[in-house]
Amino acid sequence: MSETLIVAEHLRGAMRDVTGELVTAARLLGNPVAVAVIARDPSRLEVTYEGVDEIVGVPVEQAEFENDVYQHALEALIAERQPEVVLLGFTVNSMGYGPAVAAKLDLGFASDVHGLALDGEAVIATRSFYGGKVDAELEFPEGRPVLLLIRPTAFAPAPSGGSPSTSAFSVEVPSSRARHVDFREAAVGDVDITTADFLLSIGRGVGEQDAIPQFERLAEKLGAVLSVSRPLVDAGWMPNARQVGQSGKTVKPKVYLALGISGAVQHLAGMKTSGTIIAVNTDPEAAIFNVAHYGAVADLFDVADELEKLS
Amino acid sequence: MKIVVCVKQVAVLGDEVEFTDDARDVDPDFLDASLNEWDSYATEEALRIRENAGSDGDEIVVVSVGDGDVEPAMRRCLAMGADRATRIDHSGSRDPITIARLLAPVVNAESPDLVFCGVQSSDAVQAATGTALAELLDLARVAVVTRIELDTGARRATVHRELEGGLVDVTEVDTPALLTIQTGINQPRYATLRAIKQAEQEPIQVVAAGEEGEPAYRVRRMFAPPKGEGAELLDGSAADIARRIAGIVQERLK
Amino acid sequence: MARDPKYDILFEPIQLGPKTMKNRFYQIPHCNGFGSEKPLSQAYFRAMKAEGGYGACCTEYCSISPESDDTHRVSARLWDDEDVKNLSVMCEMLHEHGALAAAELWYGGPHAPCMESRSVPRGPSQIPSDFEYLTYAKEMDKDDIREVQQLYVDAAIRAREAGFDIVYVYGSHSYLPQQFLTPYYNKRTDEYGGSFENRARFWRETIEQVREAVGDDTAIAVRMSCDMFMGDAGTQLERDCLPFVELCDEIVDVWDINVSGISEWGEDATPSRFYPSGRLLPWQEAVKKVAKKPVLGVGRFTSPDLMVDAINSGKLDIIATCRPSISDPFLPKKIDEGRLDDIRECIGCNICISRWEIGGPPVICTQNATAGEEYRRGWHPEKFDTAENADNDVLVVGAGPAGMECAMILGKRGMRRVHLVEVADDMGGIMRWIPQLPGLGEWARVVNYRKIQIDKLRNVEFIPGTTLDANGVKEYGAEIVVIATGGYWVGDGLNGCTHDTIPGADASQPWCLTPEQIMRDGKDVPGARVVVIDNDGYFMGVSLAEKLASEGKKVTLMTHLGHIAPYMHFTLEAPNQHRKLHKLGVDIVTSHMPSRIEQGAVVATHVFDEDGHEQTWEADAVVLVTQRRSNEALYRELKDSVGFDTLRGEGITACYRIGDCEAPRLIADCVFSGHRLAREIDSENPEVPKPFIRERRVIERELAAV
Repeated sequence: MSETLIVAEHLRGAMRDVTGELVTAARLLGNPVAVAVIARDPSRLEVTYEGVDEIVGVPVEQAEFENDVYQHALEALIAERQPEVVLLGFTVNSMGYGPAVAAKLDLGFASDVHGLALDGEAVIATRSFYGGKVDAELEFPEGRPVLLLIRPTAFAPAPSGGSPSTSAFSVEVPSSRARHVDFREAAVGDVDITTADFLLSIGRGVGEQDAIPQFERLAEKLGAVLSVSRPLVDAGWMPNARQVGQSGKTVKPKVYLALGISGAVQHLAGMKTSGTIIAVNTDPEAAIFNVAHYGAVADLFDVADELEKLS
Repeated sequence: MKIVVCVKQVAVLGDEVEFTDDARDVDPDFLDASLNEWDSYATEEALRIRENAGSDGDEIVVVSVGDGDVEPAMRRCLAMGADRATRIDHSGSRDPITIARLLAPVVNAESPDLVFCGVQSSDAVQAATGTALAELLDLARVAVVTRIELDTGARRATVHRELEGGLVDVTEVDTPALLTIQTGINQPRYATLRAIKQAEQEPIQVVAAGEEGEPAYRVRRMFAPPKGEGAELLDGSAADIARRIAGIVQERLK
Repeated sequence: MARDPKYDILFEPIQLGPKTMKNRFYQIPHCNGFGSEKPLSQAYFRAMKAEGGYGACCTEYCSISPESDDTHRVSARLWDDEDVKNLSVMCEMLHEHGALAAAELWYGGPHAPCMESRSVPRGPSQIPSDFEYLTYAKEMDKDDIREVQQLYVDAAIRAREAGFDIVYVYGSHSYLPQQFLTPYYNKRTDEYGGSFENRARFWRETIEQVREAVGDDTAIAVRMSCDMFMGDAGTQLERDCLPFVELCDEIVDVWDINVSGISEWGEDATPSRFYPSGRLLPWQEAVKKVAKKPVLGVGRFTSPDLMVDAINSGKLDIIATCRPSISDPFLPKKIDEGRLDDIRECIGCNICISRWEIGGPPVICTQNATAGEEYRRGWHPEKFDTAENADNDVLVVGAGPAGMECAMILGKRGMRRVHLVEVADDMGGIMRWIPQLPGLGEWARVVNYRKIQIDKLRNVEFIPGTTLDANGVKEYGAEIVVIATGGYWVGDGLNGCTHDTIPGADASQPWCLTPEQIMRDGKDVPGARVVVIDNDGYFMGVSLAEKLASEGKKVTLMTHLGHIAPYMHFTLEAPNQHRKLHKLGVDIVTSHMPSRIEQGAVVATHVFDEDGHEQTWEADAVVLVTQRRSNEALYRELKDSVGFDTLRGEGITACYRIGDCEAPRLIADCVFSGHRLAREIDSENPEVPKPFIRERRVIERELAAV
């Protein structure tokens, strides 16, 4: 039976969102969707997405991810189930074993895939090249499974629901050559806008220096790091270290919320590859909207006030 | 100890782009070249291990796949302090599985104690070559490493693996091993002009590429991503917009 | 790259009376120190902007008669046919690039000191100049009025002969026509004074006569200040200017609108310290609303978005620039070609203006080292020939203004490799912290521009976080070494007043601080009472006084000079800086020099007190802005300890010093220093500047005949 096989991602006992996104991607391919849960006790990890046909529990000794374990389990699953397509998240964990499986089994392979389609029977994956500046459609060798690592947030998570069948798959895993020891939270250092997941970025639109503390508060409330466009550094209101752009820092946060930034080329060069760009500007012609994923033509102070109320 | 560092000369695209006639790649006239940023960290890490815990006879070998045009990147690693360089002559498919297949016999012949690759390359961002190569070499491996503590005597290392959201997974790995190195693990050194000049004089060993097999993918069509169309308009009152923004943020940061 | 279509409006032609201007970029009249008497310097300077895409370029103020002689400053002149010949070169060169040429016909009235001509200027009323010392005008009777109007007509005819397409009847900055319009200058009781109609009469008649003489084929421009910021006495927008526009719109082809009078013209030529771009837009918009003819005006526009917005929102028809066109003569072309990140943006420091105020040396620019050097040194801001020794590798030590500029230009001249090595983790040197001083944020553009350019140059590598000693330099592997290690503010009170240290001054004490310690190192300024000692006379002392006062300190600013920050008079920053310090309650002590400093007190004497009575100022902290010295340790080590011969043995053929490392100087001069060396890196002796062309009259005769 041809199917699309997903390997669920979980961390410290919780399912990760990317799993639901993989379900959405898998459904684009039409075939039945099976989700493999590789865990010490797979039944404790809930997979409740609409569109999943089967959940395959793969019990293993290890509570947390180890690449040898996942690689071995996935190889066994592929041998057993002969899926046409295997989808993993483009995550640090999958980077540790996905390409190894592809190399070992001679699979079609691509990673950081952000678009999926079928051309007849053939799977077509879209991904970026050259620093995200161009896109390409890829095709894969015929007659073998294709293993794809899917970019997180590229697909919306599947809605919750569904009533999949469940099965168990047992696999004998050799001892790991790389063993999980411990988790540690990364040290919180100085403000570094280049490593923040969420940047609240403000520009010329804030108008005056006295307005800045309001956005510092907002950033703190939202759990964002405050960054700025060049005019604010020019005006001496904020230090260079906070400046996004060609003459400042190049950033790639998961979310870039731009308030009152028109989007000079130098600025766009520093942020356009951010995961999700949300722009608020009163000028509907502002260049920032050319790179934004979400845009609102609105007064940034009104929106900021409302955001502050929400958080 | 011998450390093999696999490096890539990446293509850097400026603000303008045109495609080749078959629309399967970018016109090379629009590309600049440089040493992949991740690989400079990998090279630096190898140099530091040698400097901190090394002994006589340690060797750092740089290996790359490509035609003669990729040698400047390799020479940059030599200028940083690598001992020698081997180029696997190849100008065909550049998918990461193929590249790993071409690297494997050459790296294997070196019998290295450690193999370092950059986590990914800035032009392709597959983050796959290192992990695929480890499989073909049958080496223990860890991807996205931000810290390495070697215990040579016990033939293992304790490494940090940087997960999404800043969480660090402390992992113990048997050696020999292949590690893919994340930026920020160190501060790569700069090469002096003298070192650059000396590196220009050093020979680069060129070996023929082995069997490359079928590529893991083929590019059907390359194109400029649609511009701006992606911006979904949030409308309504400021309160509506703020609610939508809060929702999107929450969703994306999970 | 192609131009962004949203900037298309900037490239649409516009009609100015009988002339068509090809786009909306207009170089406003501004001084350059060349006048009519350095005609080739003048022509090459203006033509560079035409080459860079400007649709029209003006002379500076252009005197119509020896009665209006601004010596000691340098203006253009159209006094006679010889001036016509000289200025015709400028017109020809502008026309070659498709740009219009404009002459700003000027009669200064009481503001013309006539130090060269020794003529007597005429004015509406006999009140001495508020701008010059001891300068009175002859009060004009009706005959004088006719005669001066005829001077305008004659000069306009000469201007047309020289090839000018646009002639001004220039009033702004409190010159004659505007003096008639303004009660502050016009106390007349005849039909040329009193009511608006009477005050406007001289200007209107003059425009009519000029139009009658040349208007059929020459555009008539009027430059008017719409607010002198002096209440009822000054020109006012609603009372005088809008009615004047309505009165004269029919006979004027283009309105050039600004604000201020002459004595505080920093309100027009706004320093970035106090005003952002577009500060004059409210007045320009008001005129635009009533004028049927095109309106142009300045506003230190460097951003094409602001330019487009000014036009689309109905505030201006034409974007006039002065300082941004000095900083980047190719501003229009770069917008046209979509090269916005190559624009060398004006920082609004007004160092250009300071040269005119000083009395006529050639214009200089912090951002553009080639400004004023187009003819005499043959420098082009965008073109660089490959150096004859381009096969050399260059090490530049220090990435401050001089080092950045030098590395950038060496890169553009095609040197094989240029390594720019810097101790700090980023480029900028002093320009990393100077822009953090109050109001100086835009000065960071000095770094921004160069950072972006250097990033684009494949042969230039920036190496941060690296300290090189003499041995490091020796071993580095470069053939040419450039030391640009900058300078520092002394911590012992050494100064240009006593030429000695100040007893007790010691910046290693917690209560005694230098500018770098405060701004760069974050050294805490203890206590509530601070005395800032300023023997420097430019921006550093007053800026630190302002910063500390705005942080709540009780600040005394003490200088041995008669005024605080006298150089800021030349940059037009002084009046507003005085206002700011006054508002912040900074206690200003001039003509006092500390005789000693101790913890808790500064003891000083009046510089003219022969008895040396001491007075004591209590101080919890003392800030020393006394003088700078070069950071020349590395250079000295290389030259004196290692020796240039040894360096040659290592393959280093030359070792140069640039910028503050050689001698502390203006930022503009640091940039120039780096640029100059790079331009002449392949000259016979790069250490010594090549001679430049001096435009002067040379007597053709045998020396022996003297």
